[in-house]
Amino acid sequence: MRQLPGLTLAAIAALAVTGCAATMNVSSHVERGLDFAQYRTFDWGPADSLPTGDPRLDKDPFFQDHLQGAVEKQLAARGLEWSTSGTADLLVHYHANISERIDVDRMDIDRGYCYADGCSPPVVEYEAGTLVLDVIDTRTNRLIWRGWAQGSVKRMLDNQDTMARQIDDAVTRMFMRFPRPL
Amino acid sequence: MMALSRLGRLAAVALAALALAACASMDVRSFVERGTDPTQYRTYTWGPADVQATGDPRLDNNPFFAERVQAAVEKQLNAKGFERTTAGSHDLLIHYHASVTQQINANGTDQPYVSCDDCKPYVYDAGTIVVDLVDARTSRLVWRGWAEGSIDGVIDDQAWMEKRIDEAVARIIERLPRRL
Repeated sequence: MRQLPGLTLAAIAALAVTGCAATMNVSSHVERGLDFAQYRTFDWGPADSLPTGDPRLDKDPFFQDHLQGAVEKQLAARGLEWSTSGTADLLVHYHANISERIDVDRMDIDRGYCYADGCSPPVVEYEAGTLVLDVIDTRTNRLIWRGWAQGSVKRMLDNQDTMARQIDDAVTRMFMRFPRPL
Repeated sequence: MMALSRLGRLAAVALAALALAACASMDVRSFVERGTDPTQYRTYTWGPADVQATGDPRLDNNPFFAERVQAAVEKQLNAKGFERTTAGSHDLLIHYHASVTQQINANGTDQPYVSCDDCKPYVYDAGTIVVDLVDARTSRLVWRGWAEGSIDGVIDDQAWMEKRIDEAVARIIERLPRRL
């Protein structure tokens, strides 16, 4: 326990990521050993045919347009040009998903003991959104990068401004992990 | 804002959770069709890809995950004396399925009259990988092995995910008898 301070900071950071449903969790997978500087142009792949799991998001142009705009901005900032000629180097595709997740209500549990048989932890349900962004090399037809952001969408779906801000935040943070710098 | 002392306590809990996640155990089991001997088969090929959703959008249609699982299964099967062939001349069809679900660990708080300070319940992501060996001639499942365990934070860390896949698959195939 001697090295606690450094570890404590890391633990607090971990807690901020996992413990609080309002925080967004962002990460990615990447094809290793690939030179991302070789790509020049991108285009949008076919629209997602999978349902999002929430009727408010299915075929929602406010969501789709804002998301596409945010992604195009990030790609352009990295020197990738949008090409609709049908010969783009990269195809971009996204999938949004909303699912019910559970958490235990930690704030309620300060006791850590139970007086009777069959005590069960206080479970809270929340709506978790996942945005997955795929980038495909059109020459090899292989996925070369997948980024995602996950978090509670409670406030986002009811408020257009919050949604726009969360999309911007998610896309910006995802692209910080894209192996092609600004 | 949280008081500092509370933050400290939370940090201790988070530390414990981190330690738990880091050395998470894996439950590995297998079933065999009674009366069959998996070692009578020699060659295998991959069956049709899994069409079922994993329950986690990060893993659905994710080649970084799928190809790692396939490579790990091939490596372990080959080490057991099985041989991958092209479709048509195979004895076995191999198939795998991965799934992610949320689980609650009551961590002792559901036990009556047990008192402890920091045994708080928590929610974690449980991951399962199932590997099936199907007799190509009869289309019957002859062997199924699986590994289950907490994968909190694992998918978000590609290198960690690859390590866990390798470990899970190695321990699953370990239960398969070696071909002589």
